[in-house]
Amino acid sequence: MTIPRDSTVALVGTRKGLYVFHSRDRRKWKLAGRYFDGVPIHHARYDPEEGVAWATVNNFQFGPVVHRSKTLTKWTRGKTGPAYAKKTGWSVAKVWNLVGGGPAEPGVLYAGVEPAGLFRSEDDGDSWTLVSGLTSHATRAKWNPGAGGLCLHTILPDPKNAKRMVIGISAVAVFRTEDGGASWKPMNDGMTARWFPDPKPRDIGYCPHKLARDMEDPNTIYQQHHWGVFRWDEGRSRWVDVSRGLSSSFGFGLAAGTRGGSAFVVPLTSDGDRVTPGGEMAVYRTRSRGRSWQRLTTGLPHPAELTILREGVASDGQDPTGVYVATEQGQVFATRDGGDHWGLLAENLPPAMSVTASTFP
Amino acid sequence: MVVVLPAALREYAKGASEVKASGHTLDALLANLDAKFPGIRQRVLEDTGVVRQYVHVFVNGDQVEQPDPRRVRVKDGDTVHIIPSIAGGTQ
Repeated sequence: MTIPRDSTVALVGTRKGLYVFHSRDRRKWKLAGRYFDGVPIHHARYDPEEGVAWATVNNFQFGPVVHRSKTLTKWTRGKTGPAYAKKTGWSVAKVWNLVGGGPAEPGVLYAGVEPAGLFRSEDDGDSWTLVSGLTSHATRAKWNPGAGGLCLHTILPDPKNAKRMVIGISAVAVFRTEDGGASWKPMNDGMTARWFPDPKPRDIGYCPHKLARDMEDPNTIYQQHHWGVFRWDEGRSRWVDVSRGLSSSFGFGLAAGTRGGSAFVVPLTSDGDRVTPGGEMAVYRTRSRGRSWQRLTTGLPHPAELTILREGVASDGQDPTGVYVATEQGQVFATRDGGDHWGLLAENLPPAMSVTASTFP
Repeated sequence: MVVVLPAALREYAKGASEVKASGHTLDALLANLDAKFPGIRQRVLEDTGVVRQYVHVFVNGDQVEQPDPRRVRVKDGDTVHIIPSIAGGTQ
């Protein structure tokens, strides 16, 4: 099986393997194949700039490894997976997120792991170095896992400055570095965390579920928090609550659209009832940096009580934006017109944990 | 000695279910195995150096209860099985 060039590819990570789909027109999709049969794939991503895909292959018994592929149909296992030094007392249980260094750091690959840590590879995932400045942060002893584990789930390299990066750790905080990872500062100003009896600002104890950088303005970051969708304004150096207009402030998946100021979320009812609210599948789109949201339902199922996990929303970087939503019920919904119309890309898959999409030039 | 690999690790040995390795302890044996098949040791041991929680090692049919592989003696002629634990129902 060969995926033709000038295609769009969608990589769907499930609890039972990776599914790779491709399309020439983003309307008709073909399955290129299923890989890593039976093994949970928390994240897989094709980077069109680097011309390579990476997948986190998290074997329940034998631990995690990272695989890579240039063709998306033949995968190569990295020689070693990310690992903590023995003296730390920690052991990498899962790799949650893989992100290339981007334009500012070509050839570099970052991995976010559980228990929370950030690793860096300069050889496409054959060997890894811990970014020790993060795990030696003064708050580390107080980091505690949420229901999803103590996972570092989002890595946002700055496309213009290799020294700058933002990361998110569930049940802990958003952190940023401006010195290449040597030191990190919590980035929670403006956040709320309703579970604290005292709402005063603090360094940790927040619960970022997913972060995404605006595709045109890298200084703007969107966050789906445990309760609330927020926007980081670099000029104000604080998060602004932009949840107004959503059916629920709770959710996991989040993706930035291709055009500046646009983003997509899929609210879930609450942390005690993690299904789409009101028995209807709906995606919400902003084109105004969260100032207002449009509810998108055309082509989405009704009634439907579906669950979208942390990596369950993605965009493909094309114009108009292709958006992809993968559900724990094994469906993948897709739009090729920025969300106005949706269709079913796939169904009856194992529970989907992640979806990413990009051009395959 | 002979090391019997589980299906999930056979890709390291080009599909072989049995490979040969040497060492006086389980730790040395895994190091020797890792020299032949880079990365395989990491799949059996946690980063802390103990046998993974859901991996079991048997030597000549007897299950190893000691998690520290440095304290498990092995010798030429032994047969070592690496076996994933039976687990499931939640995923």
